Amino acid sequence: MRAVIAAWYDFDPFHELYEWIGDVTSSEELVYVIIAVVGATGILSFVGLGALANVWLERKIIGRIQVRRGPNRVGPGGLLQPVADAIKLIQKEVLQPRASDGKLYNLPPILVFIPAMLTFAVFAWAPDMVYADLNVGVLYLLALSSVTSLAIFMAGWASNNKYALLGAMRVIAMAVSYEIPMVLALLAPVLFTGTMSIPGIVDFQRSNDIWLAFMLPLPVFIYAISATAELNRTPADIAEAESEIVAGFHTEYSGMKFGLFYAVELINSLAVSGILASLFFGGYSLFGIDEYIPPWIIFIGKIYFFYFGLIWLRGTWPRLRIDQLMAFSWKMLIPLALINIGVVSAEVLIWRLNELDSWIFWVYALINLVMMFVLLQFFFTMLTKNFYRLPRRATLVHDISVPSLPAPSTLNQGGNA
Amino acid sequence: MDDTAVVVAFYVLSAITLISALMVAVVRDIIHAVLFLILSFIGVAGLYITLSADFVAVVQVLIYAGAISVLMIFAVLLTPRSDRDNAPVSYAAPLSVLAGLLGAVIIFVGLDTDWRQVEGDRFGQTAAEIGQALLDPYALPFEVASIVLVVAMIGAIILVRPGDEEA
Amino acid sequence: MSDIGTPPYVVNIGPQHPSTHGVFRLKVTLDGERIIDAEMVLGYLHRSMEKLAEERTYTQNIPFTDRMDYLAAMTGNLGYCLSAEKLADVEVPERASYLRVIFAELQRIASHCMANGTFVNDCGAWQTPLMYMFREREKILDLFEMTCGARLTTNYMRIGGVAFDVPDEWYPSINKLMAEMPDRISEYEEMLHDNEILLARSRDVGVLRPDVAINASVSGPVLRGCGIAWDIRKADPYCVYDRFDFDIPVGHNGDCFDRFLVRLEEMRQSVRIIKQALEQLPGGPVTTPVPLALRPEPGEAYARIESPKGELGFYLASDGGPAPYRWHVRSPSFINLSVLKELSVGLSIADAIVTLGSLDINVGEIDR
Repeated sequence: MRAVIAAWYDFDPFHELYEWIGDVTSSEELVYVIIAVVGATGILSFVGLGALANVWLERKIIGRIQVRRGPNRVGPGGLLQPVADAIKLIQKEVLQPRASDGKLYNLPPILVFIPAMLTFAVFAWAPDMVYADLNVGVLYLLALSSVTSLAIFMAGWASNNKYALLGAMRVIAMAVSYEIPMVLALLAPVLFTGTMSIPGIVDFQRSNDIWLAFMLPLPVFIYAISATAELNRTPADIAEAESEIVAGFHTEYSGMKFGLFYAVELINSLAVSGILASLFFGGYSLFGIDEYIPPWIIFIGKIYFFYFGLIWLRGTWPRLRIDQLMAFSWKMLIPLALINIGVVSAEVLIWRLNELDSWIFWVYALINLVMMFVLLQFFFTMLTKNFYRLPRRATLVHDISVPSLPAPSTLNQGGNA
Repeated sequence: MDDTAVVVAFYVLSAITLISALMVAVVRDIIHAVLFLILSFIGVAGLYITLSADFVAVVQVLIYAGAISVLMIFAVLLTPRSDRDNAPVSYAAPLSVLAGLLGAVIIFVGLDTDWRQVEGDRFGQTAAEIGQALLDPYALPFEVASIVLVVAMIGAIILVRPGDEEA
Repeated sequence: MSDIGTPPYVVNIGPQHPSTHGVFRLKVTLDGERIIDAEMVLGYLHRSMEKLAEERTYTQNIPFTDRMDYLAAMTGNLGYCLSAEKLADVEVPERASYLRVIFAELQRIASHCMANGTFVNDCGAWQTPLMYMFREREKILDLFEMTCGARLTTNYMRIGGVAFDVPDEWYPSINKLMAEMPDRISEYEEMLHDNEILLARSRDVGVLRPDVAINASVSGPVLRGCGIAWDIRKADPYCVYDRFDFDIPVGHNGDCFDRFLVRLEEMRQSVRIIKQALEQLPGGPVTTPVPLALRPEPGEAYARIESPKGELGFYLASDGGPAPYRWHVRSPSFINLSVLKELSVGLSIADAIVTLGSLDINVGEIDR
């Protein structure tokens, strides 16, 4: 039974195919290229299907959070809704503002798609299913997210529209501010595992039978929030804050170009969930069950679990203002991340120097959990003590009373009445 | 420089880098110039990868294309619109001749040097080795660079603070 | 250092915008993200109701009042009928007055559900609180439909009473709704009054000082949010409001969050009034017969009510003919909007949108 399952997820027919090609053509490069193409096709088909599935998931789940059903007309349970959306977007009129910047206007939808796709190359879907086992996998992921913000700026600039430019400026300001806590938060697993390659980190979690999320709850929190901000999702979606600047940087994009921006937001959400799952929550390992269930199914399950968390955040919270977001990043997340790095480095030093066993990880888990609660309580109180100085319920008065107040000296001064 | 794939990649990446660098100087709109500069940064990152310097390549994308280009974009957007023209100036011709001469000298010297090819582990732990190097032989430059960065940050904050005194 | 800076630029929060609550244009001059000047351009929804009313009889003008504040049709009807009854000296039976009070308070709950929902929507929550509050609004609109056949433009009140009596299936529905309403309002409160993001967006944003409010003749929840306890239902009672016991919620600071709280608490007080009215509801006729082309004595009358948006006043002048000589509406949204410029100077666009949402304007009422 186990042999059959192992053969299934190791895709033995592919192995035989590669060997046959290698024998027939006796060229290693051709086999390499074919393996690369097949693997890329697999990953990209997951990305594409994932984008379609995410459209449906997002609308249904947000609908349920809002006490209503999501789409349920198109297909059984609304399952064909993404197809209908795609067809609708494709058949829309392609409007390009005359004052927009020519070729620069058409590039961003494509350019923003490329980093989103490239992120999936470094994930470890199974013990030997990694497309590109980079030695600097974690840094590679961070570099890709910083390039995305540039493409968004290009979109906002090329539209020649004040709203779009406002949105684009907000996006790059926020992307740059939230990159720092993200880097620092992702540094913590790297410190513990001693390697920046994602399969290596997942392997560490599997062999020591502990998820890095238990040991490092604070970086999980910091990374989740920074990634939400980088993704431009609520509560940090000022870039496309519909109620303020219509649609932000993609105001002037119609039809499938807008569809690409929307799809990229969904794919990036999957990528961020994948990073969370790999680095902090064990990747494809599930405490030994991954010998009976194909690991890539476990990994995809974890990705969608965190994606559900992202959708939940979107449906529940209002959005913050740009200066509040910046203050949150610079005044709270960065100090938290720096304190965390200090503590984690000390822990790693103690562990490495004394060659302790893995029981020390659970001790660290407890220490880090307590530290997280204490620090969060301190920072939250410091940042929000202004909100609680007034009562949060209206006072009830039984009889009318109008105080006699002096007239204000200025009212609507300098207005063009 | 043995595989044909590496040679082809080298030529393609060099072409991208050089042509976008040329366009930075030539293009009329200054924002386009910044975008071409970003493209040349990414080309340089690719060249680093052909040299097996994976850590430097990724950090190049992360810092240069991610952060320094954002700085340049902000700088461009803060200049008034009238100063944003990248039009050719009157001294363009003699300056390009001078730049061409300089480039020719560099190329000649580069081709004439006896470069040492380091035989080493192709895709070893570059990040770990760089880290070790920063802490052991090169600890002093590392610390000095950190101090310079801190001074720059403090200076930037002081410069943009809405102070009472008008500079 | 003075060279580094950007010139102020004008952004048009234009007539077509998802959160201007109707077709309303706000031209703001921005310096970076701060507003330094705001100019309001109104009139996109002007339908010249006041002029058209001079060609129609008094009863034919009642549908106009539905469409002025289209989110609070019942109170619009009520104010107009009170003014016409004052002008023509018509007595209203008691049952009609109680029914008027019940429906006006139901309309207040529905309108505040919408106002608070769209306010939190402007703060960025993708319609989740709005959908929750729409549950109750749907039930109230079902009650309206049961009674007068229409959900939004109800055209229910007549000069001399109300148009129809309530059907038999109305009583269990409204009793059930009033029984579960306090729980629902508590649910909204629990969901929202502790939310730090909502507090961060609306606390200390758009603070309206009490003296500015009084001098700008602001009314309604906007005025009560500044801490001034002024409610027409207590100051100048109309219908049978003096027979009910209810409180006036007031805020503390005059910011957007206080107005939100005041509206939430007003919903509770409305539930209280409706329960008392249902207990005291007498039998009897629901309308005094009034001729189709009512010809009141020459004169003028002004009646004001507390609509969900503020003090809604109707001025009618008659010259003895079947149509009014002049009809003017004192719309609360128009008067409340005049403080927007004072409030929004110094805020960022996001805050200005939130402030606009908390003022709860209705462009149909502003432009008429």
